[in-house]
Amino acid sequence: MKYIKKQNWQLNEKDITPEELFNKRRTFLKLGAATAVSAGSIMEVLAEDKLPLKNLTFRKDTNSNNLILNSYEQITSYNNFYEFTTSKERVKYMAHTLDTNNWKITIDGLVDKEIEVDFDDLIKKFTLHERIYRFRCVEGWSMVVPWIGIKLSDFIKYVNPNSKAKYIRFETLFDDDMFPDQANMLFPAVDYPYVEGLRMDEAMNDLTILAVGLYGSKMPKQNGAPIRLIVPWKYGFKSIKSIAKISFVEDEPLNTWQKSNSKEYGFFANVNPNVDHPRWSQKRERVLGKFFKQDTLMFNGYEKEVAHLYKGMDLTKYI
Amino acid sequence: MKRFLIFIVLLLPFLFGLYELFILANVKDPIKYIYTLSGVTSTVILFISIYISLIRKWVNLIKYRRLIGLYGFFYALIHFLNFVILDAELNFDFVFKETIDKPFIYLGVIPFIILIFMTITSTKKLFKKFKNYHKLIYLALILITIHFIMAQKSLTILQFIYIVMIIATGYWKLLQQIINKNKV
Repeated sequence: MKYIKKQNWQLNEKDITPEELFNKRRTFLKLGAATAVSAGSIMEVLAEDKLPLKNLTFRKDTNSNNLILNSYEQITSYNNFYEFTTSKERVKYMAHTLDTNNWKITIDGLVDKEIEVDFDDLIKKFTLHERIYRFRCVEGWSMVVPWIGIKLSDFIKYVNPNSKAKYIRFETLFDDDMFPDQANMLFPAVDYPYVEGLRMDEAMNDLTILAVGLYGSKMPKQNGAPIRLIVPWKYGFKSIKSIAKISFVEDEPLNTWQKSNSKEYGFFANVNPNVDHPRWSQKRERVLGKFFKQDTLMFNGYEKEVAHLYKGMDLTKYI
Repeated sequence: MKRFLIFIVLLLPFLFGLYELFILANVKDPIKYIYTLSGVTSTVILFISIYISLIRKWVNLIKYRRLIGLYGFFYALIHFLNFVILDAELNFDFVFKETIDKPFIYLGVIPFIILIFMTITSTKKLFKKFKNYHKLIYLALILITIHFIMAQKSLTILQFIYIVMIIATGYWKLLQQIINKNKV
């Protein structure tokens, strides 16, 4: 038998395939599998790594902080979404009632023209960016999420608020057919619709995004589909989900958690290890999936980017 | 036989927790999970233990009250160790300061100290001597209830049902005491 020994200088297959493509082989496999609805074995492979199909085009984040991502499964199975339930584990199973088709967002207040925009039209107008951010809940747990979104500053420039607008106010959809707790007359978990707000300079900061997806894929319902706010240096409750209304206003909006308990939750809600929650310490945090805790960073690790916004403010007072 | 059955049933939440944490290994927030599982189980068991004297006319479980009470302590101990070992990471200075500083924490620590006292004095010999002090369980349960309510970010119907049940139980207990006194 003739046997040709491979020389050291000879390229192997891996070297010839562009690395980019080589790394995409699984995505390719998935696409094939999805269109062909082929043999069960391939579908099993898909189910195994539990990653969604990438269905968004975006500019990749280089992850310069070398953050370790939480899994898609973790991110989509532990959600505070009181419109469904106060149980973080159950949201995933209840969120199917949220219908995001033909989603409209009302834009009103101190803008040139009050409009209602269609979500699908809206995201076509903007570049999508991947943003790998730490996400720190006021309750003391945290995760790292690869969000996909549009820069809120891009959006604000597009709708062009007038100079009287000092704050931006967000509202979650109110629809008690989709959100069971909104139909709860006697003991709703919080006041609905959920309201959040940002000062205009916070909103214009480069870190602030309107997220429409994660892990390269459209936003799962339990994470606040189709569009939600992400402000990575603030506690998670600022990052309002399923936004249906955006208003530009002169006065500081009264956000839902401040309204519910102003001694414990304020308007700013900046992540701050030096200011405890009245009931628990904020010095350290529990990373999802781990038994061990890690230090919480000032402004959740985004001090360089945002500390200037709060110069001269007493952060023990403006919680 | 009955004792063995009670022993097994009350151990189930513990085994269930181990199963979820280490075999399924799908718990997203383990420290929080241990808090909730041990806290709720301990509270429920301690409430059962005070119901025993209320229902003795119909079902007499007085013989097993110590076993049930000790289980209440067992789950409270897990809850406390979770605080000290996993949550505070054996930083005793932190544990001490938090306990002094935060009502939410000391409202959990005080009933735990009561439970330690009751556990130590639950032997036949000591129980005779300290029987009267075991009424402290009512104080412990009131504090545990406040601690439990404070642990919630917002109150839902479940917590209100819980509060109503506690008031009803207290009322029932009081009524029984008055009736018993009048008999004498």
